[in-house]
Amino acid sequence: MMRFLTSLVLGAALLAGAAQAQNQPLRITIDEGIIEPLPYAAPNFVPDSPAAAEYAAEIARVLADDLTGSGLFREIPSTAYISQVTSFDAPVQFADWKAINAQALITGAVSVSGNRLTVRFRLWDVFAGAELGSGLQFAGTTDGWRRMAHKVADAVYSRITGEGGYFDSRVAFVSESGPKDQRRKRLAIMDYDGANVQYLTDSSSIVLAPRFSPSGDRVLYTSYQGGFPRIHILDVGQVQQRVLQSQDGTMSFAPRFSPDGQTVLFSLAQGGNTDLYAMNIASGQSTRLTSAPSIETAPSYSPDGSRIVFESDRSGTPQLYVMSASGGEATRISFGQGRYGTPVWSPRGDLIAFTKQSKGRFHIGVMRTDGSEERLLTASFLDEGPTWSPNGRVIMFTRETQGASGRAALYSVDISGRNLRPVRTPDGGSDPSWSPLQK
Amino acid sequence: MQTGTKISALAHVTLVAWAFLGGAFRSDPLPFEVQEVSVISAEEFAALSAPREAPEIIPQPVEPEQPTAPIEQPAPVEPAPEPEPEPVRPEPQPVARPEPEPAPQPVEPTPEPQVPSEAPSLERPEPETVLLPEPPGKRPKPRPVERVAPEPVAAPPPDARPDPVETPPVSAEQGAETPQPEQPATAPEEATDRIEPEADPTTEVAPSRSPRPKTRPQQPTQTAETKPAATPEAKPAAKPEANPAPASQAAETRSAVNDALAEALAATEEPAAAPAPTGPPLTSGEKDALRVAVSQCWNVGSLSSEALRTTVVVSVRMNADGTPDTGSIRMIESSGGSSGAAKQAYEAARRAIIRCGAKGYKLPSEKYDHWRDIEMTFNPERMRIK
Repeated sequence: MMRFLTSLVLGAALLAGAAQAQNQPLRITIDEGIIEPLPYAAPNFVPDSPAAAEYAAEIARVLADDLTGSGLFREIPSTAYISQVTSFDAPVQFADWKAINAQALITGAVSVSGNRLTVRFRLWDVFAGAELGSGLQFAGTTDGWRRMAHKVADAVYSRITGEGGYFDSRVAFVSESGPKDQRRKRLAIMDYDGANVQYLTDSSSIVLAPRFSPSGDRVLYTSYQGGFPRIHILDVGQVQQRVLQSQDGTMSFAPRFSPDGQTVLFSLAQGGNTDLYAMNIASGQSTRLTSAPSIETAPSYSPDGSRIVFESDRSGTPQLYVMSASGGEATRISFGQGRYGTPVWSPRGDLIAFTKQSKGRFHIGVMRTDGSEERLLTASFLDEGPTWSPNGRVIMFTRETQGASGRAALYSVDISGRNLRPVRTPDGGSDPSWSPLQK
Repeated sequence: MQTGTKISALAHVTLVAWAFLGGAFRSDPLPFEVQEVSVISAEEFAALSAPREAPEIIPQPVEPEQPTAPIEQPAPVEPAPEPEPEPVRPEPQPVARPEPEPAPQPVEPTPEPQVPSEAPSLERPEPETVLLPEPPGKRPKPRPVERVAPEPVAAPPPDARPDPVETPPVSAEQGAETPQPEQPATAPEEATDRIEPEADPTTEVAPSRSPRPKTRPQQPTQTAETKPAATPEAKPAAKPEANPAPASQAAETRSAVNDALAEALAATEEPAAAPAPTGPPLTSGEKDALRVAVSQCWNVGSLSSEALRTTVVVSVRMNADGTPDTGSIRMIESSGGSSGAAKQAYEAARRAIIRCGAKGYKLPSEKYDHWRDIEMTFNPERMRIK
């Protein structure tokens, strides 16, 4: 009897297993997809007054420029719209937007009260028929309408991609004008998209390599004012500058802030030898980090401030090395053919961007912090000086064309190597430095 | 003297005879006593056995401490287990009762066809397997005949025997005696082929078990007829198996069978709505077509680099027309990234499923049960550096 019962139970268990197996879902694996900009629709924000209508149109335009310019999104022209958004709170006709293959829809409203501007928006996942995130509102003065448009774009970008935006940021760079043999260089600052250019210095002396502080309120740069290259620090808000403490008869250059903004890394050339130093800004006290007979320059902190990547020719050709922030033994990380220089640690900490010269051409590339997975993103007659966007997704750099009429300009490229595009500047530009996101 | 000796001899003889006979008479009352003892012992054993159980029970509960009689009855713990089996019996009864209740309501007509459908299915395979060994069993007789058969004289008797077995050859045999050598020639081939299955009857057990799985698909087909809900499907499924079991088993086995089936069916209740195994599964080509269709809409261009390191598994229930049930799409699991990255990756996957499935994926409608529920794994590994 017991044997019979156990056999029955086992049989039932087998039946259950068989039934479960029979009811298992179909399983497929998808490992091939497409990489194309995500189509979205951003109809003009609904204004609450005629005065707001102008801002509404401008904000929609800047928003579209930001998203489309990132290379990750594609705007669907308004002429293709089936339905119009006439009220911010009206229900969305998803079918109309599905019909034109809009995968994301941005609706918004703009209101103006005196000098005060208020922007509201919602982001919709059209095919899911649901809102992505919740509605958001920005308020400020009418003068800051561009920043509000950038804020909206950052929010949309962040909600769809899952990483922070970079539109509400600024770039310090060297504005170059005039012919190549009489080039006038001025330190300038602008919105990331080339708008709102402000000049911080005149063209009386050569300026090089501006670097934003982590908080975006100060800029370090190298100036030949006085004949020797010296490091200057400039307060962006008050446009006041001063020279960092330096020794006579030495050249200091290639400065960069530490992540906490308290220390400046720089190169100091003394007696024919160039080494790395760290200086406390407040006290002016310097610490020597390297003491090799070779040239060490272009240092850059890791985001956590624990390590430094720099360029050195101690092996015979310029290569990239990583060492502790307090100095000591350095580890070479670049082993490819050619010369490596101007390394910059990504704000996300996972990659290092660099300039590479190989076989007569220049490249902007990225590699992991151990030197693996090197990828070259660009190639031209002269590409150099990469700088990271605040979210570590885009690299801006200098591209100079060949010949006597050659001109330096700023370009940006996605770290995937796609979406290479020029940055609009009134004149030529070089040595860009991307600020963090503005607050 | 002679008379004296005779008298004395007679007296001695009589005395000796009396001594023997007298002892025999006295033995009669003794067996009566023995018989009484034996009769008493049988009754006493039963009586003794009862008091023996009582003392066993006594040591466990402390009777002296609880002198009161009412406590003594609950004190015996062994009677307690007896009531336990009693509730077990009522359990199968209620189980059996609900069975008939759902049965008459939705499926009474259907279970009846179920039983005949199962019964013939079981009987058919058995006769089939039996028929195969049987003919060889009859044919071995012709074998010895075959050995004799090569001789012309033995030929006529085999003619009579093949008649019942193979009627069509019999009609041809009547025509002429010459085909006789041909018959034995064919007979040994067939005989040898079927001699092997003779040893198979031991293996016949396997085919006799195989029809059981056949009955399982019949149950889902029956449930498919009564598609309305999952719970009614599960209960009727329990009956057909429970019925054959009690038919040959005691009522106690029903409880075990019902319990086991209840567990088995409980485990399958969730997916029970999918009567999957009705047809052949999707071919690799059909799966590839679905994979390609979804991948054409899987746009990873707007994903963060972290989301591009995140693999997500998304489940979706499909409508019969090939369109996805938008509300059923959900993320089962993710790996390789944070929850935020998994959310972005899942949303991209969801957009792909919905967008390319808006007009319905091209899937074979006759295999709907196989693709009603789909789990798609979106692995962006190969898309990372492109």
